[in-house]
Amino acid sequence: MKISQHMTRPAVTVPPELTISEARELLRSHHFRHLPVVDGEGTLLGIVTDRDLRSAYPSTILEEAEGKARLQDLARTPVSSIMSQGIFTLSAAATLDDALLLLDREQIGALPVVDEGGKVVGIFSIRDLMRAYRNLFGLGERGSAMLSLLDDGRPRPLSRLCAALEQADIHFNRLLKTQTEDGHKIIYLRVNTYNLAAVHKVAAAAGFEPHREE
Amino acid sequence: MPRLSQPLLVIQDQHFLQHDTGPDHPEGSWRLTAIAQRLRTGLLADRVAIFPSRSARRQELTAIHDENYLLRFEEAALTGRSYLDHPDNQICYDSYQAALLAAGAGPAAIDLLEARQGCAAFAAVRPPGHHAERAMALGFCFFNNAAVAARYWQNRYQRRRLMIIDWDAHHGNGIQAAFEEDPEVFYLSIHEHPTWSFPGTGWGEERGSGSGRGTTLNLPLPPGSDDAAVLRLVSEKVEPALAQFQPQALIIGAGFDGHRDDDMSGLAYSSQLYGRLGRLAASWAGRYCPGRLLTLLEGGYRPDILPLTVENYLAGLLAEQPPTTDSQTDSNQQREMP
Repeated sequence: MKISQHMTRPAVTVPPELTISEARELLRSHHFRHLPVVDGEGTLLGIVTDRDLRSAYPSTILEEAEGKARLQDLARTPVSSIMSQGIFTLSAAATLDDALLLLDREQIGALPVVDEGGKVVGIFSIRDLMRAYRNLFGLGERGSAMLSLLDDGRPRPLSRLCAALEQADIHFNRLLKTQTEDGHKIIYLRVNTYNLAAVHKVAAAAGFEPHREE
Repeated sequence: MPRLSQPLLVIQDQHFLQHDTGPDHPEGSWRLTAIAQRLRTGLLADRVAIFPSRSARRQELTAIHDENYLLRFEEAALTGRSYLDHPDNQICYDSYQAALLAAGAGPAAIDLLEARQGCAAFAAVRPPGHHAERAMALGFCFFNNAAVAARYWQNRYQRRRLMIIDWDAHHGNGIQAAFEEDPEVFYLSIHEHPTWSFPGTGWGEERGSGSGRGTTLNLPLPPGSDDAAVLRLVSEKVEPALAQFQPQALIIGAGFDGHRDDDMSGLAYSSQLYGRLGRLAASWAGRYCPGRLLTLLEGGYRPDILPLTVENYLAGLLAEQPPTTDSQTDSNQQREMP
């Protein structure tokens, strides 16, 4: 669950004197959206996003001559003039949960990951977050399927379910108990078998009926 | 002598029954016994012509599978292993030979179709094929029968543009993987949504890759979907895809496990839907590739439902065949021989 296992590293970083046009070209060629700006020691100074860069560019409704002049300006203006400072970061010891909560609360797209000295060691984006949780849940793992079962409300539901599945030699690799907003207790189970009918039979015998979503 | 219509070719083989998956396994030999019985005594008894299969040849298989996988599978069967890659895929001593015959059924049927021996062909094979990967058995499947047939059709008869329409309740991950980057083989699958269904693949956003971008089309359906949902997809998605791709041959991956009484999926198709699907397949072949329609059996696990739905499907295929005479057949041959 450590962020260091899931972040993109090394992060592509830029010096503060890089021009706005160069930064835009860099983002375009790499297909990402966030550029940490660092000093000569690799210490984080700020971050530039594709949105910052887009807003710096002249509007197409400007007169041609005026637009051209602005473009020439951008080819001389350093990114340090438009970067955000005082930004949120993660430490390398942070967890996936830290990242999710921070990204969600601040409504931002990526977080630089820094060491104790403030040097950038990687970057963690929403894309990295999705990939990490996708792997955690086994989404897209060939040969598996997710079942949702209703918790029968009797004691030790997960132990009883596991025992029944193992007894029947049914392979499974994810098991999650949760409660929906309307109060249903649901057990999610990712099994590795084609024979879902057999799984449902074993689950029903142990007291767990399928949960059907409306 | 004038004939009312050409027969429907059916590939059946006693050796398919020797693939023994053990007691309580859903993919048992009873499936083919029940289909054969129904075809022998049912409505279609005098409309079908039965032919045996032949073993797929090594180069036909290695067009789709790794050579090492063939060796591994054969060794597992001959040394008495009880399954290959996953306990779902139960095997016995004869399973490798049965799988070779299942993979050869498509080519055998294609030879008959190309020789104008029938209006369409149905290969009642097991083990099924559409989950089998290049080097991995999965979901009761060992060799990818449909993929082997598609490559054979291309290589032996130069039918380059092939469309595989797979309406088994489960996504045919193995077929998709085989042709994902191939612009000449279009894989279209209607299946229960991967969030709820084995094998957890076949998302709507997967459209093929590289030069094969656009010739994969997944049409997942939520659990509980019925005939109307399928027919809506047919008119909104399948028929436009056919019209655009203009296939030179058509392979149907026919699984009957989307039936509402088959508990291997959450889909809720009626028995009648399969008759409709038969008529549709025959009409598509009539429009784009007359006489080049091959159907391969995939899933279907209810003893009382499978033979009935297979018969409905085949009756649908035959209902759309225009009556022909021998002389018409001859002129077709002259016109369409390569």
